[in-house]
Amino acid sequence: MRSRIYTIISGHFKSWYRSKSNIFWTIAFPLLLIVLFGAIFGNGSTKFDLYVQNQDLVANAPTSLSQGYVNNLTSTGAFSIHVVAAEQTDPITYIKNDAQLHNRGQRLLVIPLGFQTTLNTTHQAKIQLYMDQSDQASASLAGIVNAATVSYAARLSPTADNVSVQQVGIVTRNIRYIDFFIPGVIGMTLLTTGVFGAVNTNGRYRELKIIKKLATTPLSKIEWILGMVGYQMILATISLVVILFFGYAIFGVTATIDLYTVGLVVAAALLFPGIGMVLANFVKEAESADAAANAITFPMMFLAGTFWPRETLPDIMKIIANFMPLTYVNDGLRDALIYAEPAQALTNTIIALGLAAFFIVLGSVLMNWKEE
Amino acid sequence: MTNGQPTPFPGQSDKIVQVDNLSKKYGENVAVNGISFSLTKGEVFAFLGPNGAGKTTTVEILECLRNPTGGQANVLGYDVSKRSDQAEIRKRIGVLPQDFNAIDRLTVRENINYFGAMFKRQLDADKLIELVDLKDKRDEQFKSLSGGLKQRVGLAVSLVNDPDVVFLDEPTTGLDPRARRDVWGVVERLKSQGKTVFLTTHYMDEAEYLADIVSIIDHGQIIASGTPDQLIDAHGGKKTLIIRDAGQEGLKQLPPGLPKAELRNAGDIAVPLNNGELTSILMSLGTTPLHDKEIEVRRPTLDDVFLNLTGRRVSEEGN
Ligand SMILES: Nc1ncnc2c1ncn2[C@@H]1O[C@H](COP(=O)(O)OP(=O)(O)OP(=O)(O)O)[C@@H](O)[C@H]1O
Ligand SMILES: [Mg+2]
Repeated sequence: MRSRIYTIISGHFKSWYRSKSNIFWTIAFPLLLIVLFGAIFGNGSTKFDLYVQNQDLVANAPTSLSQGYVNNLTSTGAFSIHVVAAEQTDPITYIKNDAQLHNRGQRLLVIPLGFQTTLNTTHQAKIQLYMDQSDQASASLAGIVNAATVSYAARLSPTADNVSVQQVGIVTRNIRYIDFFIPGVIGMTLLTTGVFGAVNTNGRYRELKIIKKLATTPLSKIEWILGMVGYQMILATISLVVILFFGYAIFGVTATIDLYTVGLVVAAALLFPGIGMVLANFVKEAESADAAANAITFPMMFLAGTFWPRETLPDIMKIIANFMPLTYVNDGLRDALIYAEPAQALTNTIIALGLAAFFIVLGSVLMNWKEE
Repeated sequence: MTNGQPTPFPGQSDKIVQVDNLSKKYGENVAVNGISFSLTKGEVFAFLGPNGAGKTTTVEILECLRNPTGGQANVLGYDVSKRSDQAEIRKRIGVLPQDFNAIDRLTVRENINYFGAMFKRQLDADKLIELVDLKDKRDEQFKSLSGGLKQRVGLAVSLVNDPDVVFLDEPTTGLDPRARRDVWGVVERLKSQGKTVFLTTHYMDEAEYLADIVSIIDHGQIIASGTPDQLIDAHGGKKTLIIRDAGQEGLKQLPPGLPKAELRNAGDIAVPLNNGELTSILMSLGTTPLHDKEIEVRRPTLDDVFLNLTGRRVSEEGN
């Protein structure tokens, strides 16, 4: 005899992968969103963003040697160079803001005043490269800058080692829009598959008398719910893996899967079906329950910072967002997968697990297994 | 013998179901009002009644899905109101709920195995598929089947645990005549295997055709019980002589002394028959122009039983 819970999980799973629309909503649609939003807001070029401030001006024009250096950098084809005006007195703050605004990497190369003079006299010119060591691009970027610098210096004088690059560490949160967006898409997918999955299996299966039939067998309500949650966990894991893999393959988003991620997936697989079950018990008719599920998931998606940071919301909406369970799943996933902020990830995971326990217990208690 | 103790079967008693003075109220609405009946092993029992009569309520009490508000009900010697007994009942009964659908995207076979996995005792899916005649459909998804085939899957599913008693709640409602016949065929096969079957229906012909015992339920009360023959004899009224296609004309040509004769649909003349009257009426007809008309004797049906008992026809309300 196969286990009853296993049978329920495999029944749900077969029903899932045999439905094209299910596959679309749980796999294709999130990937489509990633491509769309990635293309609209993301940084499509494969070049490294590099801010360059040339302070070596004479009569408001760059000196020929400093200009030559910049041209040489440009000619490598590896950089997307963004010029910072020489008047900018706090270039680091400036580029942090500007980069965030345009979803660019936060790296600054400064050619100091007197670059040309130094080259001509002491042959000991220095270039400053400001970068975050945790910037995933830092090693390759520094490598290319160094190589370009060496080749430029060699052209000036084959023997002398006359230009050196000084690397200066800065602390940035080098998060592109797409890095922000990917965990949001995961949260959104867990939300919709969980809520709609539960509404479907507890609303539609009731209408089809499948639940009634099961209630006349030795199967218990708890086993039925465990089967549904087990299935949701499998689905959540598939969504997570597929989306992360896709994000990595297309946009180079690198994520760390840690214990918090696992905790959040477990929480989501309990929380969202729990919400769906509560809904299905208040709105008995499967079709209206579906409408109610839409009415709940869509606002939640927007308010919980799935697509845009919550900082952009009006104050009142920010307050409402605090009551959205998805908020904690989204934030937790970002902290865990992308930001590497274990403390915050832990807090969000605990809140999500607490909400999960609440909703799954409430949904289970409310669910009529026998008499209706 | 409704002492609530699990009684060993068979032996001490072969009462598969025993119901005494059972009631169920939904708020003020009394859906089942003090009914009593019993099912004997190997019997096909039909619960016949119009919409809202209380059929589903009764069956679902026996299936431990609803709690009775009064009276006693035992299934296989177990008390439906006792939690520990309910677990035993669930292992041993087979259920086809009213309007049941299996899981859309599972195949016939997968569905049978799905519901079968809920039980320790599980019959071989292929045997059941054979029983309900679905061999060529066994790897088709449930959603692609026609209504009649779907219902046969439901029947197979209700038998997966080799139950001691099968509850079929309106197994043919909404099916076309051929599909109904197919379902009947399955029930007949069950009967020949010695299974006890509890069937609800609002089709009189179905009860008459399939059932050993019929209980007619109306407004939550059993108004008559017995074999179909007993019910017809007791409540069906007179036999009727039918003279086909006689028309208005024919009515005038009738021999005298048949005042109750009336014209029915399509011009048939119906003459109520008292016992022993048949020969004399036929002989007097032989002398009239009606002698070459087609003549038959119609026996009352359960329809007439219900009409006589309630003043209504089931089919007026049934759907
Ligand atoms: N869950 C319920 N809550 C309240 N009233 C109910 C409930 N179930 C049934 N009833 C009422 O109880 C009465 C009997 O209903 P039941 O479903 O048992 O009839 P039925 O004979 O099975 O009818 P049908 O042929 O339509 O299936 C009806 O008046 C119905 O409205
Ligand atoms: Mg019914």
